[in-house]
Amino acid sequence: MREYLLGNVAIARGILEAGCGLASGYPGTPSSEIVESLAPWAGEQGMHVEWSVNEKVAMEVAIGGSWAGTRSVVTMKHVGLNVAADPFMTLAYLGVGGGLVIISADDPYCHSSQNEQDSRRYAQFADIPCLDPADPQEAKDMAIYAFGLSEKLNLPVMLRPTTRVSHARSDVETGTIQKPSQGAGFDKNPRRRVALPVHVRPLHRELLSKQEALAGELESAPWNSLTLRGDHGIIASGISGLYAGEAIARMDLNLSFLRVGTFPPPFELVKKMVEHCNVLMVVEELEPVLEEQVERIALRYNPGLKILGKSSGALPRDGEFDLLQVDNAVATMAGEQTRSAPILPREILPPRPPSLCPGCSHRATYYAMRKAFGRDAVYPSDIGCYTMAVGMGTVDTCLCMGASITVASGIRFGGEERPICCSLGDSTFLHSGLTGLLNAAYNKARITVAVLDNSTTAMTGHQPHPGTGVMATGEATSRVSLEEISRALGAGLVETVSPYDLDAAVQTFRRAREHPGLSVVIAEQACVIGARRSGERRRPFRVRDSCTGCKKCVEFGCPAIEFVDEKASINALCTGCGVCAQICPIGSVEVVE
Amino acid sequence: MSESIRSVVLVGVGGQGILLASEVLARAAMISGYEVKTNEVHGMAQRGGSVVAQVRYGPRVYSPLVARKTAQVLGALEQIEALRFADYLAPDGLAVVNAQAIVPVTVSMGAARYPQDVESRLKAAFPRMAYLRAAEVARSLGSIQAANIVLLGAVSRGLDLPSDAWQEAIRASVKEKFRDLNLKAFETGRCLV
Repeated sequence: MREYLLGNVAIARGILEAGCGLASGYPGTPSSEIVESLAPWAGEQGMHVEWSVNEKVAMEVAIGGSWAGTRSVVTMKHVGLNVAADPFMTLAYLGVGGGLVIISADDPYCHSSQNEQDSRRYAQFADIPCLDPADPQEAKDMAIYAFGLSEKLNLPVMLRPTTRVSHARSDVETGTIQKPSQGAGFDKNPRRRVALPVHVRPLHRELLSKQEALAGELESAPWNSLTLRGDHGIIASGISGLYAGEAIARMDLNLSFLRVGTFPPPFELVKKMVEHCNVLMVVEELEPVLEEQVERIALRYNPGLKILGKSSGALPRDGEFDLLQVDNAVATMAGEQTRSAPILPREILPPRPPSLCPGCSHRATYYAMRKAFGRDAVYPSDIGCYTMAVGMGTVDTCLCMGASITVASGIRFGGEERPICCSLGDSTFLHSGLTGLLNAAYNKARITVAVLDNSTTAMTGHQPHPGTGVMATGEATSRVSLEEISRALGAGLVETVSPYDLDAAVQTFRRAREHPGLSVVIAEQACVIGARRSGERRRPFRVRDSCTGCKKCVEFGCPAIEFVDEKASINALCTGCGVCAQICPIGSVEVVE
Repeated sequence: MSESIRSVVLVGVGGQGILLASEVLARAAMISGYEVKTNEVHGMAQRGGSVVAQVRYGPRVYSPLVARKTAQVLGALEQIEALRFADYLAPDGLAVVNAQAIVPVTVSMGAARYPQDVESRLKAAFPRMAYLRAAEVARSLGSIQAANIVLLGAVSRGLDLPSDAWQEAIRASVKEKFRDLNLKAFETGRCLV
């Protein structure tokens, strides 16, 4: 049957149709909807579905599932694979039990990411196969294929959708959902499961010797398709194949065309293209993974071949492609007219960047923090909604998940004498802030750590975590106390405050600042989106005529506060947090009764 | 071939219901027997930022992204967002713009100015434009939340999908208690162009 599905939902559907019995992951755009779509099926399928604490944990849980003989999948965004890289790299040596699929969703153009690394490089690095889908249908079909391939090769298989695949929607042909087969249980085999040097030396040789079988399998995969026509040709991978295909169709060009959906790329098909063509353009987003292979094969089989792509400058190595860009590159190669993009006066429009919601508690926390610590303090920060508050002056660094506390410690040990207050969200704190806090306590870092606790993983769509007391499936579970865990890790002063109580929050941050050692402030206030969804409503506020136009509330930066005719005014976006009423020096902001 | 692909770009501000509007459009095209591809942005961009959804349908669709200067219709739930994404529209395309201003935080904080001459700029940018008050129309029908579907009704006039496909798509996409409201919103919007 045909269904209109989001790419990530299509992937989840493929996972169900493959009879997968275990799914783990950590939320990260553009991957989050996969686990979210699997969670409602957990009961009916008898499947274990979990949000793990971080990607390394998720990867190891999936490896355990596979080693127990159950088909398992782990999902993350591309940078999550950095966190999980340790188990990932050695896993390829040890191999799998039940089919094991690693989904790493790439984000060309960094729509919602801190970099645009290419996961295909990781697969190449680990000597495992990688599947590069072009659309939701391929993503679903590849997910099913990946489990079988993993079992056949005794290797994990990577599926690498990009943002424009994960968040595309299209009609998808769906099949029958399979009940997971009960795994045979863990098979004790130290030679294959214990990564001692004496064991892994032969396993590394075995991994290398598998590469031929791996290439042979991928050669005939249905996502590699060759059409030999004229002596100019295009080799394209993933979604780039769709852009190139549309360009060829639009201009009705007599070009040879190889679409590639697997890595390593199909050697024989690339060789045929290389031998057949005089000019070849390689179209792929981000790293020249395919292009390098084409260059190597051309060196042997057609050294005179002209190769267009990233090294020739025909296409960029950064950002994401779009249809027009690829269309123009194809037109240029084929000697056709290119289509210019119109130049419009965009710069005179006011920018509309994503920003913290009206009533967001992070804004209040940062306001109180800055008040207590001053403009001159150093504010290392982290990854979450709060990074968007960079304009408030309390986000001085953002590197990777959990790096706020550790970078803050290093800045102190590196000789910085000014006050240091770092911040990170509750989900990030539990993801990889705990080790940093332990390290800060152990090594006596004199810093303040603010945990912005809105009791959810907000940025990626409100997934639960161990601080919420709820599992991915909605089932209740134990709830970790951020205060207790901070104390247990060695923080000297630990206080919890609601940032909506501005004075109390400022006082708390002042005490933390004066504390001679490591202090932790937990700024606890539910995410406004979550609160609204659960039916919570607060009375909105308004500005009285007595407003003198001092702009103190406007500088707070809430989208609900506007400045009209030399006075502040509160619009319909107000959620009633009441912080601006506490900021107003003359009491001109009042609640609407 | 690709000349028969229809491309629509829907833009607005996070929270205005762009994604639902694009879903209804995609379903209507599917019901009409076309292959459909759409694209949307999740995550960071949704937090009060500009939101873009792209929908393409036809006998055979390759790319889920619309090439600039090729969309048959540009639908905007916020007026300066129409200007921001104007370059997606084909020179002879139809722009459907909701006459609503949502002030970006950059403006409310005083870092930028909201243009005062939006209507004349829209008229200059779009030779074929329907400039309508979707939010007010939706409010008069019972809920401002249906502004997206009022807009979609107007957008439908620039496309070639049959009326019953639209109605079936709306029934399939919205909750039962909002069904009548949205069907009415669609028809009202359709009559505004």
